[in-house]
Amino acid sequence: MSLWENVKMALDAIWAHKLRSILTMVGIVIGVAAVIIIVAIGQGGEAELTSALTGDGNNVIIQPSSKFFMENNGVIPPDFITDLDLQGLRQIKGVENVITLSYETKSLSFREEEVDDVFIYGMNDNAVLESSGLKVAEGRAFRPADFQSGNAGALISHKLKEKLFGEEDPLGQIIRIGNQPVVVTGVLEPPVGFLASLQEMEVYLPQRTWSNVFGKSEIMQVMLEVDQPENMIEVGEKAVNLLHHNHNATDRYEVLNLQQIGDMISGITRVMTVVIGSIGGISLLVGGIGVMNIMLVSVTERTREIGIRMSLGATRTHILVQFLIESITLSVIGGLVGILLGSGVAALITLLSPWNAVVSWPVALGGVLFSMLFGVIFGLLPANKAARLNPIECLRHE
Amino acid sequence: MIQLEEVDKAYQMGSMTIPVLKGINLIINEGEYVAIMGPSGSGKSTLMNLIGCLDRPTSGHYYLNGEDVSKADERKLAAVRNRQIGFVFQQFQLLPRMTAQKNVELPLVYAGVSQKERTKRAIEALEKVGLGDRKDHRPTELSGGQQQRVAIARALINNPSIILADEPTGALDTSSGQRIMDIFDQLHQEGRTVVLITHDPEIAARAHRQILLRDGQIVEDQNQGKEVSG
Repeated sequence: MSLWENVKMALDAIWAHKLRSILTMVGIVIGVAAVIIIVAIGQGGEAELTSALTGDGNNVIIQPSSKFFMENNGVIPPDFITDLDLQGLRQIKGVENVITLSYETKSLSFREEEVDDVFIYGMNDNAVLESSGLKVAEGRAFRPADFQSGNAGALISHKLKEKLFGEEDPLGQIIRIGNQPVVVTGVLEPPVGFLASLQEMEVYLPQRTWSNVFGKSEIMQVMLEVDQPENMIEVGEKAVNLLHHNHNATDRYEVLNLQQIGDMISGITRVMTVVIGSIGGISLLVGGIGVMNIMLVSVTERTREIGIRMSLGATRTHILVQFLIESITLSVIGGLVGILLGSGVAALITLLSPWNAVVSWPVALGGVLFSMLFGVIFGLLPANKAARLNPIECLRHE
Repeated sequence: MIQLEEVDKAYQMGSMTIPVLKGINLIINEGEYVAIMGPSGSGKSTLMNLIGCLDRPTSGHYYLNGEDVSKADERKLAAVRNRQIGFVFQQFQLLPRMTAQKNVELPLVYAGVSQKERTKRAIEALEKVGLGDRKDHRPTELSGGQQQRVAIARALINNPSIILADEPTGALDTSSGQRIMDIFDQLHQEGRTVVLITHDPEIAARAHRQILLRDGQIVEDQNQGKEVSG
């Protein structure tokens, strides 16, 4: 008796009790859909978090080594990165652009409103914004001339704008960083999606303006834009060697390892996905027990059918296979519907929310195989019960 | 040929052993037309189950066409039921969800016959019992007599040498019953072994040999009205 014949027989039996079959499948459908949606959100979130934190470009970031940072109690000396260093870095093969970044926290005020501990960044290129995924919503980004000027304007974060200006137009207003007045020339878009909750009170200034505000010119971080991703490691090593050589030092500079950060993020989201995914798995288990339950009912109801089939030459194996395939068919149909539902919901989440839910096809395939496995596991007991029935008693069964 | 030698059958009920058949010796030759009679509880259904390989004797031997099947395993018995025996039951025992044709095909499914061949043979078998135009009807859409004829077509489909019928007219009115009995007569004329189980003397009289069971033993065995030695 062929597999297809058995499947056809199973479909007939499932079709004969439509409502019951649908209700039984619901458990499997919800279980599989839940697992797919959760994993899709988890993976989408991971991709977004990784790109948000590490940027999209091929950037190598040089920062003070943790040892150096500790030894100096967090104070970066004025000569940490000199103009000579920057010239040298520009000449490393593969480096397309050298971007500098300085930062300091300072209190900030507008009229009577004061905010403490605002992050004030100084930068020599708009690329800093791009690499962090930040866009200018109102006003404008810095022009090349602004980077030359010692008194250009400031870009403020959306959250800061809300805090200081409320509904008022911030463009052209003068804020005070410490005692230094700075004109607001632009407002950044609020970060979306995964990082929305992380948004901060921030101000971005051109490097020279920053130096004037703080009366110092230390560069705390250098970002090198590299032409090819595969050159990043080499460029990073060369840059650190060059700086150590220029300053006659060791263990003073280090490359910020984005790969490590990325791995860390993946690790965290993976654990989350597994934990929440196993909750979905439990609902799948409950669905499987539903399948077993209904199959046991079905065996009892069809006792006479089993007797008839046996009297006509069905072996116990035939009966076992028949009920096993019926249970697998039931589970697999549930699994397939679950995948459709899960993918649909994931697509809807992507469409309607800032979350990007990525359906993982290996997980979807796993869902089908898993529901098939459940069909086998939860079908074995009822099928075995059916196969062990005595044909004579079955024929007498009312 | 059906040959039973000193066959006992007993059922276990808790700690009690209840003997149902005691020392049955019986030979039914190929092509015989036999009726097994007896009051309820005499063991005639048990005897039919044994002959039909739905059950095995507790002791003794059962040779079917020369082969000892009393110790055969479940798989072997299923194959015997499939190919050598055609069952007809009092309650027809058709599968309600299937059409007449699909019901008739069922033994061929377990014999591993292709769909095309099955369809052809099922239609032939239904035509033989006069139901060629009812092949797509479900059992509930057929009268009792028609259902029993479908069951006979199903019993014949694998061309078995033995037809075993358990009260085949028990659930039918007289005229339907007559029609069914006519079919059995015809099967006998075709050379098949026909074994009927009945408590109706009129039905039993159509057979050429009557065996009477009482308390698990054969008490009478008449061939064409003459006694035969068991």
